[in-house]
Amino acid sequence: MHIIVCMKQVPDPEGPREAFEINQTSGLVEPRGIPPVLSLFDENALEMALRIKDVHPAGAMISVLSMGKRISNAVMLKALAAGADEIVKVEDEALDAGRLDSFATAHLLAAAIRKTPFDLIITGRQAADFNDGQVGIGLAHILDLPVITVAHAVTVQGRELRAERVLAHGYEVMCTPMPAVIMASNEVGELRYPSMIQRREAKQKPVHTWRLADIGLVTPPARRLARRRLFAPELRERRCRIFSGSIPADAGRNLALQLKEDRVI
Amino acid sequence: MHTDKQVLVFIEMEADRIHPLAPESLEAGRQVAQGLHAELAAVIMGGAVSDAVRDVRHYGVERVYIVEHPLLETYHGEYFCQALSAACLTATPSVILMANTLTGLDLAPRLAWNLDAGLVTDCVAIEASDGEITFTKPIYSGNVMAVYAPVTMPMLITLRPRAFTPLSLSDAPQGEIVPVAVNLDQASVKTTVVERILEHGDGIRLETAERIVAGGRGIGKAEGFSLLKTMAETLGAAIGASRPPCDLGWVSAKAQVGQTGEIVAPGLYIAVGISGSTQHLAGMAGSKTIVAINKDPQANIFKVADYGVVGNYEDVIPVFTETLVEILT
Ligand SMILES: Cc1cc2nc3c(=O)[nH]c(=O)nc-3n(C[C@H](O)[C@H](O)[C@H](O)COP(=O)(O)OP(=O)(O)OC[C@H]3O[C@@H](n4cnc5c(N)ncnc54)[C@H](O)[C@@H]3O)c2cc1C
Ligand SMILES: Nc1ncnc2c1ncn2[C@@H]1O[C@H](COP(=O)(O)O)[C@@H](O)[C@H]1O
Repeated sequence: MHIIVCMKQVPDPEGPREAFEINQTSGLVEPRGIPPVLSLFDENALEMALRIKDVHPAGAMISVLSMGKRISNAVMLKALAAGADEIVKVEDEALDAGRLDSFATAHLLAAAIRKTPFDLIITGRQAADFNDGQVGIGLAHILDLPVITVAHAVTVQGRELRAERVLAHGYEVMCTPMPAVIMASNEVGELRYPSMIQRREAKQKPVHTWRLADIGLVTPPARRLARRRLFAPELRERRCRIFSGSIPADAGRNLALQLKEDRVI
Repeated sequence: MHTDKQVLVFIEMEADRIHPLAPESLEAGRQVAQGLHAELAAVIMGGAVSDAVRDVRHYGVERVYIVEHPLLETYHGEYFCQALSAACLTATPSVILMANTLTGLDLAPRLAWNLDAGLVTDCVAIEASDGEITFTKPIYSGNVMAVYAPVTMPMLITLRPRAFTPLSLSDAPQGEIVPVAVNLDQASVKTTVVERILEHGDGIRLETAERIVAGGRGIGKAEGFSLLKTMAETLGAAIGASRPPCDLGWVSAKAQVGQTGEIVAPGLYIAVGISGSTQHLAGMAGSKTIVAINKDPQANIFKVADYGVVGNYEDVIPVFTETLVEILT
């Protein structure tokens, strides 16, 4: 079974506010002083793939597909150490994430995916930079495959896939034949932690680099949206009234009394 | 047939009525319609939609498209996409809007790809000037806002919960009802639902709670949440959490508040052992009154809070709850 996990490299989304500097001339965000990381939800996607491989180790192969202008091998090493078998980078100057929308991204990834036979594609619920949440369904549309979104668990039986899809008040079990696309939800849980040995072995695993021409495209496909501008949001700070007391318990009591007096409760 | 431009709001149903977020979607739709000098229309799809139609006709819509079919009884992405595509064919809307719920995040991209339309997800603001309409969404964890304009029509928008003031009810119902026929059959879909497992949560529902008590990583252990539960019961509040307690299994994943969890705006939000990351603030900054209990006086949460206690929650909360019992009974 060949599983392709789509993983995007993004500037650390938990970086401080000042780290996301807006360049008004280029219309791009230039991260300052924060490292690139694997997009958080794509780690959930990889974890889901690894769990399938845990159950079906024989013949299972997990490829990580990542597209971007420059993709760091150090960042991708984390995926290999966790258990991915190979990395396929689609790397090209023309592929700046800030200039591609989901429409273009899905077409580019689909072009890369078409180059190899596969059984399952797993994506994250949304990329942690632009948070679009469109590429997974886009891949299914372009490749004419079934898609199950916000799945927190999957099992494979023969050629059939069963996925648990998150609902507002529970979940539903969905069935589909493979090949298929699964969009993993954050409820999958965190990516496993690699051992020292796995980390060492990861360095020996293959990393392939493809250019745009290698996936049969010259320029990225057209956009469906025009980005007019970027701006930093206002921080709406409030004046906080701090309660204290000689012992913490007093503070708790004073807080409750004040909330009552102010008719908050 | 109508000749004017239309803006179409997809109305999600919940137990045969309109979803609690529908009035917000309708307000966003109203803003777009005004900007484009277009008419506001709604579309409702389901097994039986008459109650929901009655609800929505109180929101000043010109038209309500309805798609009724037994296969639309519960949400299924493929059937709903086919049905909504059919409604769009009839309504030929310039812009289609829906709430960014679990349904919206499945349906909107399906429809966008099907109609070959641009989609802005998680929109928080709409502006119209010089005949151009723009849609703003937070990117990079909410540290930057991006403003998008359509390149092609129709264009799709999903709306962040709590970003738009709910449209108020009008007295007289209005809006022509336009049924749309669809042919749905089981052979046309690639995925099937085998079963649905619904949890009947034991407490108050987070999304609609008037008071929320939320715990973060600072709670330190699953048992720590029992202190919060007692406090929540005293206040009649729902339990919420930041991401770490959900990931660590201290509370249900459904308790998560924030960018990837529930977006709430209760009258009272009490954040305990939560530092106040941008991702968490995205889910609760709109609360009327915010109380923070945190042992670090520098914690970011105090910047958005109205009341705060600096201290170890295990020392503060028992007395806080005791006092609540005293004054509330
Ligand atoms: C793409 C993405 C999406 C995300 N989505 C969400 C989301 O939807 N919701 C969300 O919440 N997070 C989300 N996060 C995670 C977010 O970035 C933060 O990591 C998270 O919110 C931190 O949670 P916290 O405040 O509980 O933990 P921490 O930041 O670790 O803060 C713990 C706080 O507890 C205090 N504390 C410790 N002990 C005590 C004590 N005994 N008494 C009182 N106070 C104490 C500490 O002073 C500290 O301020 C997301 C992250 C990413 C990258
Ligand atoms: N540049 C990329 N490289 C690899 N995977 C991507 C890329 N962009 C998006 N994806 C995948 O598509 C998912 C949804 O992305 P998006 O629709 O952009 O929010 C992500 O979680 C990834 O799994």
